[in-house]
Amino acid sequence: MANKQEIFEVLKGVIDPEIGINIVDLGLVYEVESKADINIITMTLTTPGCPMHSSISTWVENVIGHFEPEKKVVVNLVWEPQWTPAKMTREAREQLGM
Amino acid sequence: MVQSESIVSAYAPPFKIVSKYFIAAMVSFVVLNFLLLLNSSSIHGHHFQPKILSINHIATLGWITMIIFGAMFQLVPVVLETKLFSEILAEIQFWIYLLGVIGLAYCFWVFETGIIMTLSAIILNLAMFIFSFNIALTMKSVKKWNLTAGYLAAAIFYLIVTAIVGLLLAINLWTPYIKVSHLQYLNLHAHIAFIGWVSMVIMGVSYKLIPMFTLSHGYSLTYAKLAFWMINIGLFGIATTMLFEETTFLYYTFTLLVVLGIIFFLLQIYIIFKKRIRKKFYIGIKFSSVAYLMLGLTTALGTFIAFVNYESIFNLTLVYGYMIIFGYISMLIVGQMYKIVPFLVWYHKYSGKVGLAPVPVLKDMFNEKFAHVEFYLMFSAVLGSLYSLAFRSDIGLLISFSLMFISSIIFIFNMIAIFRK
Repeated sequence: MANKQEIFEVLKGVIDPEIGINIVDLGLVYEVESKADINIITMTLTTPGCPMHSSISTWVENVIGHFEPEKKVVVNLVWEPQWTPAKMTREAREQLGM
Repeated sequence: MVQSESIVSAYAPPFKIVSKYFIAAMVSFVVLNFLLLLNSSSIHGHHFQPKILSINHIATLGWITMIIFGAMFQLVPVVLETKLFSEILAEIQFWIYLLGVIGLAYCFWVFETGIIMTLSAIILNLAMFIFSFNIALTMKSVKKWNLTAGYLAAAIFYLIVTAIVGLLLAINLWTPYIKVSHLQYLNLHAHIAFIGWVSMVIMGVSYKLIPMFTLSHGYSLTYAKLAFWMINIGLFGIATTMLFEETTFLYYTFTLLVVLGIIFFLLQIYIIFKKRIRKKFYIGIKFSSVAYLMLGLTTALGTFIAFVNYESIFNLTLVYGYMIIFGYISMLIVGQMYKIVPFLVWYHKYSGKVGLAPVPVLKDMFNEKFAHVEFYLMFSAVLGSLYSLAFRSDIGLLISFSLMFISSIIFIFNMIAIFRK
């Protein structure tokens, strides 16, 4: 069974096409729960009503489903706590020229 | 696989329909620039002239409104997290609308102010009613009503008002019956169209898209809310007082309220820009910034026009109209298209492969250098045209219109490249 860290690594494959930075470095992934038969990803988006809204959660399902096909995947999209730029990693900030 | 997949397909915008509207709009943009170029020597004097009216309607209906229709079919379901009420209606509307635009543009060009012009106006009304019906029913199922939705709902109301007033004007050209002057009604028609319809859409969408593109955070939307009420009350007031005599004071008051509303919108955009995280100005934002600046200048000019006898200053209304259509709205549309079209095509072609295979990011979808060339050409064309109209330079106008035409060709070339990517 994959551990949390491995799942985070896999999630780095999901890149926000508009910003060009992956969702982990953007700080959008809040929590990963890896259980025996299910992976639960709790995440947010930079803005509610983002046109990527539904797509990003599907991509997350796709990559995790591909990584551990035997398990179910649930993506919990939450708006609390709200995303802020402070949640980005240093690498992401540097890429944005902050 | 999992529950949210159904949500994805439920919100997914109908790519085929949206692109149809976009393609028709872009073709209109090239056509109208071509017509301007061929007829540059006739573009002077009063705005009420067959060719100017025709080109103006190709711009407002064929280019601007056509692209807004496409963008709204795309954005409304996604932003409001609901499904478009009917894709079939959107398809039917397209063909009816196209027929109406061609009909009206032709009638103005040859100044055939009879039954065909009125019929074209009726057809256009029908298409706009279908659109409003479709969007209104889409909005009916909205779970989370927000500021953008409010602006869009108001915009649709003004679209209908514009269309009806337009039809009444067409009938009036056929059989005069309007007691207030035709030009005064035309004035109302144009301002309800530009401020009520086009600008309300632009404002509502800007509050949503600009923070998303610039990654702005931590600002309040107070000015956006105030702007909403000021513009609505102002427009409503202007339209009402026009029907009565001796309302000059009220007319000016309501006019200033609208002006203040637009200033508040610009202030809100400025605040969003100041709070942006992405410091670099990408091409879309570059176009948009010039457009917002032009909106500010246009508003100042519009206020001036409201208080003077505008017919006494040569080409004043043409300068004003050109500034609105090209400097403000077209610059903004072109800029947003460099964001929206790559996204739509990318979404259509690569969305299913994310995380599973290497996919391009949006800025790889087109050559930004060409887009920059277009930006500078278009910006020079706007400044050149405004200068040439204001100072009556025929050669300057010819050169500026040529630049605008070339820029529109580059635009369409870039967009085709994205579609084929």
